[in-house]
Amino acid sequence: MRATKGIEGMDVLLQATPDFLYGALHTIIYCAVSFPIALLLGLVLALMSGSRFVWLRGPARIFIEVVRSTPMITQLFLIYFGLSAILATINIAQIDNPWTAGIASLALNYCAYEAEVFRAGFLSVDRGQSEAALSLGLTSRQSFFRVVLPQAVPLMIPPFVNDLIYMLKDSAIISVIGGTELTAALELAREYNYTHTLALFAYAMALYLVMSLPTSYFARWYERRLRAAL
Amino acid sequence: MQQTLTITELKPKARPWLVIFDILFYVLLAAFLLAVIYYFYSYRSIVILDVPVMLQGAALTIFLTVMSMILATIFGFIGALGRISRFFLFRWIALIYVEVIRGTPILVQLFLWGYAISGALTQVGFNPYNIAYQFLTLLQNNSLMPDQVFFNAVFWGIIGLSFNYGAYLTEVFRTGIQTIDRGQTEAGLSLGLTSPQVMRHIVLPQAIRITVPPFANYFITLVQDTALLSTLGGVIELQEVTTSLASPLSSAPFTELFVYILGAVIFLAICYPLALLARYLEGRFAVAY
Repeated sequence: MRATKGIEGMDVLLQATPDFLYGALHTIIYCAVSFPIALLLGLVLALMSGSRFVWLRGPARIFIEVVRSTPMITQLFLIYFGLSAILATINIAQIDNPWTAGIASLALNYCAYEAEVFRAGFLSVDRGQSEAALSLGLTSRQSFFRVVLPQAVPLMIPPFVNDLIYMLKDSAIISVIGGTELTAALELAREYNYTHTLALFAYAMALYLVMSLPTSYFARWYERRLRAAL
Repeated sequence: MQQTLTITELKPKARPWLVIFDILFYVLLAAFLLAVIYYFYSYRSIVILDVPVMLQGAALTIFLTVMSMILATIFGFIGALGRISRFFLFRWIALIYVEVIRGTPILVQLFLWGYAISGALTQVGFNPYNIAYQFLTLLQNNSLMPDQVFFNAVFWGIIGLSFNYGAYLTEVFRTGIQTIDRGQTEAGLSLGLTSPQVMRHIVLPQAIRITVPPFANYFITLVQDTALLSTLGGVIELQEVTTSLASPLSSAPFTELFVYILGAVIFLAICYPLALLARYLEGRFAVAY
């Protein structure tokens, strides 16, 4: 503590560091679990909304529109407060805790956006590719998974990484329902330290920047390489 | 000519038994709509009770969105001019502004403005909130802001939202300005137009075509982000109204769920037409590259 004695409020920051680091770890866990689920559900939704059957297209498009037109905090409150009361009547309310509600709402909210990215990616692959594949005798499923999808994936990675950064930031909303997130750790530390609020905020924002800036630089580097290659 | 295939042979045929599901889908869709209408009808007492209050919250939501968007546009202009400035210091400050705001969650920024900066400014002695409140009292226009606590959260909430969206709009405006070919400016200047005239008649019309679609999308996102102001406590916009109408009902779980669904439906009613409008504008303003 001697070296930091001169800096005002440094001991407050050092005291809060373990909680903040745990909160940052939980943020990363939320995103690392929700993002693959969102990608998978988004792929399913994209395939459904591009289908020639109305009974697949309709529900998919309705789901995407509804999820994109409501705020994430509304969906989170619906899942956490609304559903848990109903689940309590059949005594499985433990399923609906901040972890599962947070991951579920992040995954459901972001799968709608990922579905749009997937659709844009599939549409950007030249139609001639799928026509050539079909004329060579590949089935529809083979031409999609072996010809269209591998060409679409590099184009879709920058929007996916941008959505990952958005998800990192949107996971802060889970602190509102009691999730042990970096923002929740910040709020707790703020309650104990009225005098050094700005320092704590700067510390938490610096941690968020450490998580998001390298990711965004990777996205920009990748996009530059992709644009150079095209 | 018998080698070429007609269009009916080129289209893939849907297998007949899956097509039956198409008809089944329409029937089920009609049944689902009737079920939704019946759902709302069976809770009609809650609907009659809660919807007027929620509409007041929605009015405040729209007010917050419009005010924040106006301020965010101003911040975005300043930021864009800073990003393309000749001076290294302005470029640097604008870059830090954009990167920090885009790298941190909006909730943390709202807490920063609403709790930290307002307290710090009061300690220092300069509080723009007090100035604004006294200005409004002077105008005797306080019907929109009934309460001091309420106005406090609304004021700092609007500032927090506009700072956040100003950073995103900085990038939108910067892209809009930089996408315009420099040759346009040079041609305008060589034709004898002054620099402001070039800006007004040549650059800005083209820049607006590029800028409006992302701007409309950010507007819709801003409508949804005003729901985050409910966490600041005191801003009675739509999400706060929904939560406060629903949480006393924990003894009646299905009614509580219905109130949350009602709030989401009103958000849908606001945002979905805006999304359709944004898509229409995107089509209208499409630039043929």
